[in-house]
Amino acid sequence: MTTAQPARRATVTITAPVGEGSGDSLLRQLGRAFIVTLYSALRSVKLYPPGHSTVSKALEDLATISREIASTEHGLELRVSGEFMFVNGTRLRLDLDNYASFSHVLSVFRVCGIGQLHVDEAIAPRDWQVFLSLVQVGIDMPPDERLPQLVEKLKAANVTTLVLSEPTEESGEDRERSKERAKKTYAQSVAVTKDLMTSVRMGKSPNIKKIKRVVQGIVDQILNEEASLIGLTTLRDYDEYTFSHSVNVCIFSVALGKRLGLTKLQLYDLGMAALFHDIGKSRVPIEILNKAGGLTDDEWRLVACHPWLGVLALFQVRGSQEFPYRSMVVAIEHHMKLDLTGYPKPIRARQLSIFSKIVAAADGFDAATSRRAYQTVPFNPAEVMKELRDNPRRGMDPVVVKAFINLTGIYPTGTLVVLDTFELGIVHAPNPLPEMLARPLVKVISDSMGNLSHPGTLIDLADRKEDGTFQRTIIKTEDAERYGVRVSDYFV
Amino acid sequence: MTLPAATSPAGDASGQEIPFPPAPIEELLRSFVKAVRAHQLYLPNNPVYKGAIDSVRAAFAPIWEQTDELPLKFSETDIKWFGRPVFSENTKSADSLPWTFFKDGVREIQLMPGFEEDELVKLFDILQRVRKASPEEDDLLTLLWQADFANLRYRYVDLGAEPGSGLADGSDKPEPWSPERVRAGAREEAEESRATVVNMQDFDATLYFLDEKELDYLRLEVVREYADDLRQNVIAILFDIYEAQSAPAVRAEVSELIETLMLMLLAAGQLRSVAYLLAETQVVAKRASGMTPEQVERLGRLPQRLSSPEPLAQLLQGLDESADLPPQLELTQLFEQLHPTALETVFAWMSRLQNPKIRPLVEQAADRLASSNTAELVKLILSRDRAVAREAVRRAGAMKTSAAVVPMAKLLTDNDDASLRLLTVQALTDIGSAGALQALERSIEDSDRDVRVAAARTLGAKAYRGVFGRLEGVVKGKAIRGADLTEKMAFFEVYGALCGDGGVAWLDSILNSKGMFGKREDSEWRACAAIALGRIASKRAQEALQRAAGEKDIVVRNAVSRALRTPAAGPPSR
Repeated sequence: MTTAQPARRATVTITAPVGEGSGDSLLRQLGRAFIVTLYSALRSVKLYPPGHSTVSKALEDLATISREIASTEHGLELRVSGEFMFVNGTRLRLDLDNYASFSHVLSVFRVCGIGQLHVDEAIAPRDWQVFLSLVQVGIDMPPDERLPQLVEKLKAANVTTLVLSEPTEESGEDRERSKERAKKTYAQSVAVTKDLMTSVRMGKSPNIKKIKRVVQGIVDQILNEEASLIGLTTLRDYDEYTFSHSVNVCIFSVALGKRLGLTKLQLYDLGMAALFHDIGKSRVPIEILNKAGGLTDDEWRLVACHPWLGVLALFQVRGSQEFPYRSMVVAIEHHMKLDLTGYPKPIRARQLSIFSKIVAAADGFDAATSRRAYQTVPFNPAEVMKELRDNPRRGMDPVVVKAFINLTGIYPTGTLVVLDTFELGIVHAPNPLPEMLARPLVKVISDSMGNLSHPGTLIDLADRKEDGTFQRTIIKTEDAERYGVRVSDYFV
Repeated sequence: MTLPAATSPAGDASGQEIPFPPAPIEELLRSFVKAVRAHQLYLPNNPVYKGAIDSVRAAFAPIWEQTDELPLKFSETDIKWFGRPVFSENTKSADSLPWTFFKDGVREIQLMPGFEEDELVKLFDILQRVRKASPEEDDLLTLLWQADFANLRYRYVDLGAEPGSGLADGSDKPEPWSPERVRAGAREEAEESRATVVNMQDFDATLYFLDEKELDYLRLEVVREYADDLRQNVIAILFDIYEAQSAPAVRAEVSELIETLMLMLLAAGQLRSVAYLLAETQVVAKRASGMTPEQVERLGRLPQRLSSPEPLAQLLQGLDESADLPPQLELTQLFEQLHPTALETVFAWMSRLQNPKIRPLVEQAADRLASSNTAELVKLILSRDRAVAREAVRRAGAMKTSAAVVPMAKLLTDNDDASLRLLTVQALTDIGSAGALQALERSIEDSDRDVRVAAARTLGAKAYRGVFGRLEGVVKGKAIRGADLTEKMAFFEVYGALCGDGGVAWLDSILNSKGMFGKREDSEWRACAAIALGRIASKRAQEALQRAAGEKDIVVRNAVSRALRTPAAGPPSR
């Protein structure tokens, strides 16, 4: 296999939680333009016959921008790692204007097994045409053969300006470190949230710096590697429900916001609002929050006060200059439905904020899948997701729910599934291939004879047999408790 | 939390061999510190500042020739490179570079090529901000995080971090099932589940891709999220809570928050939000159910409070000193919420405003306030504060406020400020009602010449016959003979306009008669008579003028010629 000569800066490694952010440098701007042009060319090649003026124009544009970057930056290397794309070692930032292009290019690279693409300064439109035509048909081949075949065919077509190589595998040590970091972030977030709620309950001003740091940590973690942190949302601490729930909602919201193309600072605003969304519960008598069994009507009414109590409580939380106005809006709106039913009922005209809609979806999902004082039996995550999607009476924004499913897959992380091999599995993460949403990465925790195992074996349900059929398929979801399985044991 | 040093690209390299001599790094840090100071002291266009920045940029060049990454570690007083001190400052003050980083938990930064071009100044901004920051403000870590540097990375210890209680699932560990039960469970209903759970539609991944329309929707939603006025939204929320919750304790808490918010919004110059807040207090006071008199009174105090002299003066002062003016609409909305009592303070400040940009804004807002509060405006005409009285008179005239005539008449007789009386004459002229003209009658005998002339001209222009008796007294009196030509002319013109044919004989005698020894009246006096005759424009008046047509005195001849050209009696010329 041919390998690319890495550009000098491509050797820089990212070590979170380093502030590995992104000033909008020229390289970033060029990189984004490159991806968008690459996407346009991919579409043109797919939709029009060779020689069509649209195709020629798209290929010419792509060759021009490639040459421009290669000449100014002394090389052009596109690298795919996890959910990120790097141009010459600089991570490109997603936003709503390039979301679709990035997503498509990323998926094409994943499907074809391409980790890095080195582009020579002498690239011509014809070289791009060959490459783009080849990647369109790549999906029909068995996964392991796609990249070698592509390299071979490029060589046969005499394309020497494009050099492909496979993805750099994240080492086991890196994965462990990433998981450890996620655990630390999660544990610290729960501790700070507890401190926040306790301070508010006692009428004290909470330490806003700690809260900011925690949300920054969650944003960093989600931006770098979201699967570990999302996996930790399966932790269900009955006694600490309010705190871990707030952290979970923060994690889901930030991950969803990332999926929707929000910038890092917007994710931070969203994360702060999400972490604070239930702060009003710190003003609800603790014996009601922790009351086992059903609540009386009066007790429910008190619990239903938490959105507006949250607004009042947030006046206790003041940062450097301003009150957390955005968080107040989310706190009051997170139980309002799209048609403004739900609670509390607004008196003045109101249009729900997109952040409130995101937090509402995250809140609805986490609350329904958790066991808490007044809901002793949690719902199955996949069923909850279906309910959010299909039941308009839930009042969720359909686009947000769609994006949520895009984030979690049809079978959200933590769902216990039965495979057609009669093995049990726990959904570990959604499949990185967007077209494989129904085929998540699963930890198989029992063999077909029903023997439970720990920590289980991670498999990809998109993997196929020799004949092209899938090796395993989900046949149903199940209630984990029914099988005596504690899901979080497989994530911590 | 301390981040593991082992993951550092530089490592904790004390004792390690350094990759190249440290001189360029020491030089870079010296230039860096100088540039930080220059950034604090000079504007960006200052040559000293530019020179300092250029020096730092140039100092990076020899380093990038040797390496692609510059790791620097911070202790309280030192900056180290591979364990070797490359910069030291013994003080632990805001001016010390190592201490600035160290105190907020930053233990290491790594700089990469490109930093000096795009991000150097951004870091200077942060350092300047953090040095001045109070303990409640964002620290260096938050600012670095928000700045989202591409070519600067940092490691830190989180000084205030919670240790975290470790991770454990607090739920009860369920009893694991036997393999037989698991097997049976997995297989039960598997066949029917296959049809229901694994829905083909769920496999259509495109279902979960956002299409263009949905992306547009999200784009617009995010734009709206950041364009919406959050403060106004929160004010609306607070008033919703106030209306929905009748518990006195809740209403008291919300009232307090609203009061605090109003002050903060005023201080932040968020005038539109203040206007909205004040408007909503009135809505709530009328609409909310179960309001006690105390609650109504407390809400009502808010607009009153802003309308009272001291807070309002603070607002106007703030506006006058502000470099960043609020839009006209905001100011208008705010002034609409003020109580009538605010008008006096606004008027008092009109003449004090120094900012030429704010004056027309306040003026326009004051006009609106005055027009909706006529009674207060009329009251202010007699204010002891001359600036207030002037503004009130001016606006009452412009608004043709009939109710202002009585206090204006009083002002004309009682006030010793001639310029104010003159302004009042002009205002009464603008009002132009019978009452206004009547009020002007006595002003033709005012002690001030300009007031007399202005009043006379107005009354003549309006052909107000009511003043004729008094006017005749003036023109036939002795005092007018001592006046300047302009005043005499003005009075004779008005006299001519009002006297009709009955005045010809007296005027003819002035123009054409000779006294003892054949001596005529003085030239100016005769010229005035000619002008008055021209105004009368009757046959007799024309004949009198014709008789003087051959006059040799140039002043008289000119006046006669002008009068003869006068087509008919009309308003006197100004």
